[in-house]
Amino acid sequence: MRAILESLLTLALGILVGAAIISLWGRNPWESYAALLQGALGNARALASTVSRSLPLVLTALTFAMGARAGLFNIGAQGQMLLGAVVALSVGLLSLPAGLQLVAALGLAGLAGALWAVPVALLKLLRGVSEVISTIMLNWVAHWLALYLVVQKLSDRVVGNRTFAVPLGMRFPSVYGELTWSLAVSLATALLLFWFLWHHGLGYEVRAVGLNPKAARAAGIRVGRALSLALLLGGVSAAWAGAIQVLGRFPYAITSDLANLGTLGFDGIAVALIGRNHPLGILGGAFFFGVLATGAARMGLKGIPLELIQIVQGVIVVAMAAPEAFRLLRGRTTKAKEGVAT
Amino acid sequence: MQSEALLSAQGITKIYADGTVALTAVDFAVRPGEVHGLLGENGAGKTTLTKILSGLLQPTAGKILWRGKPARFSSPREALRAGIGMVHQHFALVGPFTGLENIALGAEGNGLLLPMRAETIRQKLMELAEASGLRAPLDVPVEELPVGVQQRLEILKMLFRNVDLLILDEPTAVLTPQEVAELFPILRNLVRQGKSVIFITHKLREILSVTDRVTVLRRGRVVGVRETPGTSVEELAQLMVGEALGGGVRRAPRPPGPVLLRVRDLRVPGPQGRSAVEGVSFEVRSGEIFAIAGVQGNGQSELVEALVGLRPWAGEVEVLGQSLRGKSPAQIAALGLVHIPEDRQNLGLILDFHVVENSVLGGLKPFLDFLGGVRWPRATRFAQELLQRFAVQARGVRAPARSLSGGNQQKLVVGRELSKSPRILLANQPTRGLDIAATRYIRDLLVRLRDEGMAILLVSADLDEIFELADRVAVMYRGTFSGVHPVEELDREKVGLLMGGVALKEAIG
Repeated sequence: MRAILESLLTLALGILVGAAIISLWGRNPWESYAALLQGALGNARALASTVSRSLPLVLTALTFAMGARAGLFNIGAQGQMLLGAVVALSVGLLSLPAGLQLVAALGLAGLAGALWAVPVALLKLLRGVSEVISTIMLNWVAHWLALYLVVQKLSDRVVGNRTFAVPLGMRFPSVYGELTWSLAVSLATALLLFWFLWHHGLGYEVRAVGLNPKAARAAGIRVGRALSLALLLGGVSAAWAGAIQVLGRFPYAITSDLANLGTLGFDGIAVALIGRNHPLGILGGAFFFGVLATGAARMGLKGIPLELIQIVQGVIVVAMAAPEAFRLLRGRTTKAKEGVAT
Repeated sequence: MQSEALLSAQGITKIYADGTVALTAVDFAVRPGEVHGLLGENGAGKTTLTKILSGLLQPTAGKILWRGKPARFSSPREALRAGIGMVHQHFALVGPFTGLENIALGAEGNGLLLPMRAETIRQKLMELAEASGLRAPLDVPVEELPVGVQQRLEILKMLFRNVDLLILDEPTAVLTPQEVAELFPILRNLVRQGKSVIFITHKLREILSVTDRVTVLRRGRVVGVRETPGTSVEELAQLMVGEALGGGVRRAPRPPGPVLLRVRDLRVPGPQGRSAVEGVSFEVRSGEIFAIAGVQGNGQSELVEALVGLRPWAGEVEVLGQSLRGKSPAQIAALGLVHIPEDRQNLGLILDFHVVENSVLGGLKPFLDFLGGVRWPRATRFAQELLQRFAVQARGVRAPARSLSGGNQQKLVVGRELSKSPRILLANQPTRGLDIAATRYIRDLLVRLRDEGMAILLVSADLDEIFELADRVAVMYRGTFSGVHPVEELDREKVGLLMGGVALKEAIG
């Protein structure tokens, strides 16, 4: 209850500051916001686009949230997302029955994401390396690896500025407009992780470790196992974000500059913070991001420069993410010196 | 009021942001030149009241008169400037700094740019120490000093800031009996020089031996103000608790059973490469309470944490004939050895978890279904039973552990651990910081468990507790035992001396 109130308050604050900035540019802020809402929610097609854009963000946000629940600051979603996209696409090279191919693509992408989390867990547990450092570094390794594969190995022989397209049988079928059944992946993952954290014994252990690793250890909980689990499940979720972006959304390929994958991984952090690191809150946070992204086009039509739109988006997101980010950082500083034991 | 009060608080009410009413219309007055005891159970509002007087908290309603004029302190600094200083339970000293440096730190008019006043400060401190009897070395890093000496430095620091009213928050909680005996004349001496002292405690005997007057708080209200010479332990206890206090069950002599816990030459490394436990041997039998007495910080906690698998150790430990070498905390618990940790808030509970979640901490297995899912309805029923059986007061099973009072947190931990049907119980300072009712409850419970055949290892710094509960006693000092004795062979004096070692005398020189 308090969380919802706080979110509404920060939203209002963000909107007001955003409005002030728009006014400073000599535009009418309320007309601009109306355009944004119109563009994002004005009709069924717009709504489908909004939801579609939010789906991968749900998954990368879950990655961060799983980490945060275990007391980790996992920012590795970006790299895992890129690899998931590349692996899922590569499954298109195999000739498999249509339904099975889609399942195989998700399975292998998820596996790749989990594998990419293994060094993070090992470095943390065996050498005490902060997950912040290792995930930043692995993000770059994944970035260049994905770029190399996309440009050198998977590029389309005809079109040139993107990879080959996902075979029709491996695409998520459409629900309505831009929205495809990748919707099911994001919703199911969110619900599953919600169930895991609050209704499964291992999820209980993850939360216990996140809140008080010393007490968890004293109670016989294997801290290393809980941390590893949070990292691996997060890896799977992030990889699926990349996979559904490729398998469930135009252009059903990866552009040669990786632009259609963008910064889904990092944006997920903001979504997780807006959603208070709660799977259900994240569904709301991602939808909100979708609204901002889809509505921006309509704002642009009103003659508002793209940069201004992005500034306003940024202000609103920062305002909404700030309370949780603040809590998280405060928690980390008090826990900073305790280290980790298995 | 027969004489003009130095400080008087009128109608003080404090309601915290979460709605907790800590104080209700409290009237409180301190006369010049008296030691005024502030007595009450934990949670009675003693600390809240003194925090308001010293500027750390603002009252919700009521007013404070300082030297007869209305005053309002918005920070401890302002209160200090007016002449009110508080010595907290956890000292505000910088460990690697010497006593002199600590006292100079933050002193008025002695910024970083004016280091030259060191000798002036020393001069003034020597005079203060001479006049008050607060002798303490000024050139030794304070972390190397015994707690009692650190406390003197804290008091000296306040005198240096020219306070007229000194507030001491449970000053005896961390001291050996000998250190306590040395503190009291110093307080009397301060009072003779015209200072006033507020002395917070929940120990009745101390009230009688050092105060002039006493105000008793119960549940945030003043329930009595007495001139100390006219009152008695019984009267104060009754005021404090609200009912006559029973003496507790007498331990019946009981033939000891088989050895359940055997420890041989246990060594446990401590911080900075030093050794915290240096070769300790003992055994605990079924149906006995084996107590380790000692001032906190002499290796007791390291010893206990090693036994439950939380610290590396060397030596031999056997539980029911099985070696503990290489066993994890979960495996050790499965052997029937459970632990009531000293630091219940950090080690025994997860404060942000609610009561149900805390009830199954370390004992989740019986509540899992075949998929590993938690059967919360069953866990909830279990939590409700725990609350009932161990008389835990909570707003409900969904209340976060953080919202419980200290005594109820401890009862929750104890209840949870006992529900694992252990054979051996390690209880580390199980009643520290608890109010009388909760203390009574825990001690009676320990005796009952002993009578039922459990082997209990009790670590305690509280002599009353040791003599009430223990069958055999070892005193731990700097990582070793100074012998193991049946409790009948010991008296308070002897144990007190052993607890203090000779460190205190050495330190003062």
